[in-house]
Amino acid sequence: MSAAATSLLAIRGLRAAYGKIEALKGVDLDIKPGEIVALIGANGAGKSTLMMSIFGRPRARAGHILFDGRDITALPAHEVARLRIAQSPEGRRIFPRMTVAENLQMGADATPGSDAERAASLARVLKLFPRLDERMTQRGGTLSGGEQQMLAIGRALMSRPRLLLLDEPSLGLAPLITKQIFAAIRTLNREDRLTVLIVEQNANHALRLAHRGYVMVNGLITMSGPGLELLQRPEIRAAYLEGGRHG
Amino acid sequence: MAAPASYPASAEPTAGFAFILKKAVISALVALVLFFLMIGIRTEAGSSGQLIYWTRFGELASIVGAVFVGSIVIELLRRWIGPVGGVELPASVRGGFAVLGRLLAPALLIFALLVPVIFYNQRYLLDLAILVMTYVMLGWGLNIVVGLAGLLDLGYVAFYAVGAYSYALLAQSGLPFPHFIDTYPYVALDFLQLGQWAFWVLLPVSGLLAALWGVILGFPVLRLRGDYLAIVTLAFGEIIRLVILNWQDLTGGPNGISGIPRPTVFGIPLTPGENGFAAMIGVPFSPTHRLVFLFYLILALALITNWVTIRLRRLPIGRAWEAMREDEVACRALGINITTTKLSAFAIGAMFGGFAGAFFATRQGFISPESFSFQESALVLAIVVLGGMGSQLGVALAAIAMIGGFELFRGLDQFRMLVFGGVMVLLMIWRPRGLIGHRAPTVFLQKRTEISASLVKEGHG
Repeated sequence: MSAAATSLLAIRGLRAAYGKIEALKGVDLDIKPGEIVALIGANGAGKSTLMMSIFGRPRARAGHILFDGRDITALPAHEVARLRIAQSPEGRRIFPRMTVAENLQMGADATPGSDAERAASLARVLKLFPRLDERMTQRGGTLSGGEQQMLAIGRALMSRPRLLLLDEPSLGLAPLITKQIFAAIRTLNREDRLTVLIVEQNANHALRLAHRGYVMVNGLITMSGPGLELLQRPEIRAAYLEGGRHG
Repeated sequence: MAAPASYPASAEPTAGFAFILKKAVISALVALVLFFLMIGIRTEAGSSGQLIYWTRFGELASIVGAVFVGSIVIELLRRWIGPVGGVELPASVRGGFAVLGRLLAPALLIFALLVPVIFYNQRYLLDLAILVMTYVMLGWGLNIVVGLAGLLDLGYVAFYAVGAYSYALLAQSGLPFPHFIDTYPYVALDFLQLGQWAFWVLLPVSGLLAALWGVILGFPVLRLRGDYLAIVTLAFGEIIRLVILNWQDLTGGPNGISGIPRPTVFGIPLTPGENGFAAMIGVPFSPTHRLVFLFYLILALALITNWVTIRLRRLPIGRAWEAMREDEVACRALGINITTTKLSAFAIGAMFGGFAGAFFATRQGFISPESFSFQESALVLAIVVLGGMGSQLGVALAAIAMIGGFELFRGLDQFRMLVFGGVMVLLMIWRPRGLIGHRAPTVFLQKRTEISASLVKEGHG
């Protein structure tokens, strides 16, 4: 468990299932402070399940999730979030009838913090995504897909997270927008030392961005290593790049 | 049904005509099946209890024919009018509407304050105004649960009933459990000693009891959403009504409770005697005083409901309600505790229902389970939906339209419901999001720009 001691997030032997279908079959994963870690894999490999099980849905059947040395395996979702693990969920899940300003405010509401800290987070988010600044009074549902993704990430950042989980941030977005969003993640990591776990089907982008990557197949981690190194491996190129470009 | 793709733009009239005819035939067939037993055959119990029946195929044929012709007429009208919603109003007209919209709420409030002055001599209208205000308050209370938190509650009348019965029982006989008082004398507050203050002390008590029942309902339905939640809340409303109906010892069952204490002007009774309110302020006694007082009382209660709702919407709890309505999963991921958020919505909504119930009891002086049927829940829900879920002004307008409209069409006798249903269908076609579908934002941006500007200047981030 020496690795777990230095990790911000350590997952050990995690198993989770939907009814009888086992989605995670004993997963180990480490994220060190200040790292960007990419989790790649095909549809249905269990990537999103892993991310969601950090928030307790589905609940782990075996294994442990340690955050900063503390076992959070059995915590309810809202308490996990209050430890400053923020999530930009799959499909973005912004609040469509609420304004952009309200969406961002929601990100800060449940976690403790002073007004000054909130104002600072808001300023940070708006500097990172100037598009949101122009749309503050607009309803979330009227934004474009890319803007909604920015809003989802911005909302997650409002709680000043120690760990940011991003589930498929490039899903359904134009390549140019994807680039902008990945650039913003890199900026956050460099300037704010934000630790990021990014789940992606777009292996090329994700592995270029990440310090380290994990490859998931059928509920198991099959490979791991530095992002660029993984990107060079022929089996990865074959499975997720040449053949998987359509994703 | 025929392919919808061909419908709006169907170019050739012949194909269009075939389509119209086909649709009319299908509608007529559906009507035939539906009405065959309902109208085609009439049954009745004979003199010695045997079943007698006769057929009414003539009426059946005329109804099916009416559906056939009606379907054609509607379809032709649709084509003639063209696609709905393409009309763009000129800017000046829209600006005028916006000004009207801003002035509407203050104008309504001033009108409400003046109602007892204007209609002082029209007892019927005063009574109606009190009734309308009661439904405005119920609508605003339910709006917290349905409009803001998005929890479809079909049993809201249960809390109205809990409030009414709490007030009636406690005001009449103190705590309803003599045994309980004997065992725990230190908790026994003898409400009979309250005298003229009974209403004012018991009003908050009734609200709190209703809120308690809101939480009790909330717990089992925490995991339910949408249709499932609606069914359970519907059942809850019925359970409360049936318990009241059958617990004869406590509630008097179907006979109800009469002689419920009337409200006082903060301790001063509205009676003709020496100590009455009229003698106190030196005017001749009139029974209208009580009506005027009741009107201002319910107006004040309703405005409190409105004010609390508006305040709560701007606090994290109110924002959490609305966010929960939009997306529960996202809320959890943002650290919102869904359990407390849901329970608080149920409790606060129920509390206002309880206040309204206590008011209803003191106004009527008599309550029975008949006043708390499912129809009331449906009516209040219709007010909220018709008003535009979440819009305070819309709910008030809908309550006025619904309850006022009900009285307006009284002359139509048995056709009243028919007219009413028709108007509702038309309204929902015309304004599917309710009278006022616009949602007012709750986070404002005055401070934000300067803060961000100053931080940017300092080179933060």
